[in-house]
Amino acid sequence: MAQSKALEQPIEALDETTLELRAGRRDRWLTSLTFLVLFSIWVALTGSGLWEPLIKPIFLPSPVAVFEAFQNLLEGGYQGRSLGYHVGISFYRFATAFSFCILVGVPLGLLLGMSRPIRAVIEPPIEAIRPVPKLALLPLFLIWFGIGNLSKIVVIAAPVFPIIVISAMQAVRSVSQKKIQAAQALGAGTLTVFRRVVLPASLPGIFTGIRVSLSIGVTMLVGAELTATSEGIAWMALTAAEYLSTDIVLVGVLIMAIMGYTLDRIVRALEARLVHWSGKD
Amino acid sequence: MSIEPFDLNGRDRRNGAKLAVEHLSKSFGSGTSAVQALAPLDLSVRTGDFLCVVGPSGCGKTTLLNIVGGFERPTSGRALIDDRPITKPGRERGVVFQQGALFNWMSVVENVAFGPRSCGVPAEKARQHARELLEMVGLAGFAHRYPYELSGGMQQRVGIARALANDPEILLMDEPFAALDQQTRELLQEEIRGIWRRTGKTILWITHSIEEALFLATHIVVMTARPGRVKAAFRSRFSESPDPLIAATPEFTAAKRQIVELLRSESQRAQSLEATV
Repeated sequence: MAQSKALEQPIEALDETTLELRAGRRDRWLTSLTFLVLFSIWVALTGSGLWEPLIKPIFLPSPVAVFEAFQNLLEGGYQGRSLGYHVGISFYRFATAFSFCILVGVPLGLLLGMSRPIRAVIEPPIEAIRPVPKLALLPLFLIWFGIGNLSKIVVIAAPVFPIIVISAMQAVRSVSQKKIQAAQALGAGTLTVFRRVVLPASLPGIFTGIRVSLSIGVTMLVGAELTATSEGIAWMALTAAEYLSTDIVLVGVLIMAIMGYTLDRIVRALEARLVHWSGKD
Repeated sequence: MSIEPFDLNGRDRRNGAKLAVEHLSKSFGSGTSAVQALAPLDLSVRTGDFLCVVGPSGCGKTTLLNIVGGFERPTSGRALIDDRPITKPGRERGVVFQQGALFNWMSVVENVAFGPRSCGVPAEKARQHARELLEMVGLAGFAHRYPYELSGGMQQRVGIARALANDPEILLMDEPFAALDQQTRELLQEEIRGIWRRTGKTILWITHSIEEALFLATHIVVMTARPGRVKAAFRSRFSESPDPLIAATPEFTAAKRQIVELLRSESQRAQSLEATV
């Protein structure tokens, strides 16, 4: 049907852009279809009040039950605190850790990329602690930084920081030598070469590092709220699991998923705006 | 019209040479794994010369240009510009690279204005000058595009305009047209010849294309396989011809054959060298 319609149009109308737009629309449609199918399976398996659930609600509550749990949480909060408070405190821990990693890690990575001696001093220790599972250090962090927010922030920052430092360093080191030489031949001094060549050329790599570490950061949030706290969205899901309140667990999981997804989208949008030259070499 | 053998290092050329290369050699690595890229090599380029260096791949042409550009240090010998040793890059030497040396995060006009701005010219004045140069290379309408939006040929025009922006005394060109298709390359060759005639710049041009060398150069240096030495040097008059179809003449073909024969044995030697590495 669509094909015969296309055939009726003059050839000029089917230029690259139009075809690309069409393909894009089709892709989006297919993607929404995937989610629709997954959601339907969820509805079907759990009955959703329409028929007998095939899976016990204790294992997988229906979308309706999850939505009701969400409404109850919105109205009554969880364990004496509002849902917004739990989300807020988790976001605070996450955002503080991440801001620190970007504000300190990116400049440090740039410095490491620029200077061999500094790299020789700082890179080996960072590389050495990188493979250590940071969650294993949680008890130590609790002793060092107390049971307050600081230990949670440190746990989240611990794996994110080296990723951001190393990716910024690699980004600097992989800046095309030709571009640097071109700038030098044009009379640019070290500072100009850094500010107008090395820094912009490294931005795509830095963004990749930030995006990769976002999901790790959200994962670490769960680890951070495992113990020694009684607030936060991951803590809510973890304690609800102890009482087999699967609906509340799912609300918590979905909120964290949406948080991770939204942050990724924001960074992607920023990336598309700020580093339009990414991957264009 | 033809090419004639020529002593590149005659006393009359040595004195007052714009660019002189004296016993220059370069090795990479050390000990038994050392590779000698350039054998001791002598060259002199006078003001207004258009000197093309042709040689088999891996003969050290680019190494030579990198040393003259000030990006690499020689292992022995020295390169001089106006009798001053070259130790680092400088604005009196404009460099045009093969490709990928444009700044993709800056618009075309900012790329061209980069040199003057880096040398302290106020931004607006530098941009004005950049726009004039873009007009000269036929890219007036593309000032606010980004390099990655342009074709390969247009990118090289930007590269040439950018190198000219600082008004350098000598242009160093490292196979600038090697990645372009035949038609674009011929068009740009004509344009660069026009620019050379108008501006009277001294040009050191690295290429592996014999036609390109014959079409453009006043002097042609043929290099040996690694380690690169001067195998032969010629004075060429073809670049003086107003005929854009000069390459179709029998004289041109004869000259080309002469250089091809010189290069063929070197290319074979280069390949056997590669096989043993």
